[in-house]
Amino acid sequence: MIKEVNTEEYKAEDMSGLVLVDFYSSTCGPCKMMAFVLRDVDQQLGDKVKILKVNFDENKELVAEKGVTGYPTLVLFKDGEEVKRLGGLQQKPVVIKMIEENL
Amino acid sequence: MAVKHTFKSYLIDEQYEAEQAMLKEFHEGNYTIENPLVKYNLYMINPLSAVVCFTTEEEVAVSVRVLGKKGPQGDMYHTFPKAKEHVLPIVGLYSNYENKVVLEEYRGKKNTITITTPDVFDGADPIISMHTTPEYLQDNVIMVSPAGEDLTVAYDYNGDARFHMTIPCVFDVKRAKNGNLLMGTNRILRLPYYMSGVYEISPVGKIYKEYRLPGGYHHDEFELPDGNLLVLTDDLQSDTVEDKLALVDRKTGKVLRTYDYRKILPEKECGRSGSWSDEDWFHNNACWYDPNTNSVTLSGRHIDAMINIDFDSGELNWIIGDPHGWPEDFVKKYFFTPVGTNFGWQYEQHACVITPNGDVMCFDNHHYGSKDPEKFLPAKDNYSRGVRYHINTKDMTIEQVWEYGKDRGAEFFSPYICNVEYYNEGHYLVHSGGIGYMPDNVTPCEGLPPAFRNQGGHLYATTVEIDNDVKQLELKVHGNFYRAEKLKLYSDGINLELGKGEELGEMGVTKEFDIEVPAEKTGEILPDKHEGEVIEEPDRFTFNATFEKGQMVQLLLCQGEEIHRYFISTTAMQLKAMCVATFMSPDARQTRTFVNKEGLKGTYDLRVIIDDKEYETGVQVTC
Repeated sequence: MIKEVNTEEYKAEDMSGLVLVDFYSSTCGPCKMMAFVLRDVDQQLGDKVKILKVNFDENKELVAEKGVTGYPTLVLFKDGEEVKRLGGLQQKPVVIKMIEENL
Repeated sequence: MAVKHTFKSYLIDEQYEAEQAMLKEFHEGNYTIENPLVKYNLYMINPLSAVVCFTTEEEVAVSVRVLGKKGPQGDMYHTFPKAKEHVLPIVGLYSNYENKVVLEEYRGKKNTITITTPDVFDGADPIISMHTTPEYLQDNVIMVSPAGEDLTVAYDYNGDARFHMTIPCVFDVKRAKNGNLLMGTNRILRLPYYMSGVYEISPVGKIYKEYRLPGGYHHDEFELPDGNLLVLTDDLQSDTVEDKLALVDRKTGKVLRTYDYRKILPEKECGRSGSWSDEDWFHNNACWYDPNTNSVTLSGRHIDAMINIDFDSGELNWIIGDPHGWPEDFVKKYFFTPVGTNFGWQYEQHACVITPNGDVMCFDNHHYGSKDPEKFLPAKDNYSRGVRYHINTKDMTIEQVWEYGKDRGAEFFSPYICNVEYYNEGHYLVHSGGIGYMPDNVTPCEGLPPAFRNQGGHLYATTVEIDNDVKQLELKVHGNFYRAEKLKLYSDGINLELGKGEELGEMGVTKEFDIEVPAEKTGEILPDKHEGEVIEEPDRFTFNATFEKGQMVQLLLCQGEEIHRYFISTTAMQLKAMCVATFMSPDARQTRTFVNKEGLKGTYDLRVIIDDKEYETGVQVTC
């Protein structure tokens, strides 16, 4: 499942299990491509991971709180704890591997 | 209008054609020492060179002497072996000058010819000053290699340029045992600076071999005692960079083996430097083979460390660096304990060297000056230095036995690139090639200098030679230069060998971005505003185009149902390690995409997806 959330919604989100957060910008080409990567990841992994998308430019407080300095940035949480972070556009196998290593 | 499509031969082939044409003209004419055939810049990439051809009735040795502007101290000279047919390289010409070159038979005829050169720098020779003596430098030159917009150039004792390349052969320059030069090629495989491989080249400009590697080349290469080459490379299919070393067969160009540092070090647990990143976690900028221990020393900028591995097994022997942040078991097993007074670790170092007695030298950039972000030094309070450590691998102690540069403070500080050279005990070169100041020319750049060049920043490189604590030479130039090497333009080995150069090895399959993007097929040609251009070479092609920031762009190679996809980024690269900025456009919208033909077969249509629309280019590439 891929869901777009703002700061308020993010804080209300159930973070149990694996949650992959994509900090993106609508003005960024690699971020647009990452959306298609995550689409395919979601199709392949289904319920194994929940994917949240956070607009970098519109959620500055959350971005600062999570120490995100650029986009796209993927942050993987397991039961609310950050377990892995990847900066920049990633290939699908890299994202899949990161998630499967933390299942 | 279709996208522009041009073909470009290998430079090696173009040079061969020029050489063949010269030899034909030579053999069809009657050229003597009094009336030689002179071909200026025959090989097209060194405009301070020429080739002279003539015959003599008897087999005779011939001396060539390029006369110095200010007297014999500036002469460049060499005596060539006995022959009747003389095809002689002329190197060390002055720019914008009527050069006098003396050709002299052994106990025979003598003739002085004039070779007139243009201003090869177009009025922008980067030199600021050269302080040395002709007695010290003799007929050596100090050659500096590119790290930015400037190109390779070499200066004599008087600060006159005597060698210049018109193509960007970046990173290291080394003299091989046979007299040829080894340097990075000018063909880029992937931005920001991963090149196709290594050239073996004559100072006259003739390329004998291009050693191509599937992971390309960056930073450094090293000639082993058996002639094979160690080359710093990448696995361009992986998600990390600058963490591989290749052993290349000198004759065939084949990669005999590779070393993967991720299998040697705990990639994610290494003590990180201030410039560390997930992708560029090691940042290998130098390699050095030590025959006494059959080991290889590797400099990793982003772990503030030099590591030593066994050449045969690849196993880790030791690590020189600040142990802060490393796993305890690694610190106990591989790290050294400092002894003596006046000791300091190196930070983000370059150019490791093993001296004949086993000491370890490097250029300590001292960038950040700590592994603790709270203790990072600003550029204005920082320094760089050449440093020499004496190590004891039995009791694992390390002692600092020499340094140069610390006292100079920020004016000698280079946050990146640079090198040291060992000539003899107490006799060293220290090249601080990455100095940068803000537009006020007073405040040192916080960050890598090339990022400030287009904002009016000032870039400098300073090269020093020290002999027993006496400064014998100091060269200052505008611009940043990756390394400096002292060498003679004429060597006792090969100076010019005729015949066709070789393209060896292979460049591998270009990494694809295998994600299908839904896009409307417009059937239209890519609009002119994108300034699309395809430059095709025998083994690859380059797609150049301009896009708007934020556009999502994919290049497609289509042959029926077979589609290959390559992502084109329209976002500026924020790199913490721009060792060579030569190939980076100041405008991130100007994109360059390199695709190797390896792994592709047949004729492909090139198409481009921009956001949700697919365009034709009208270009076909045959692989």
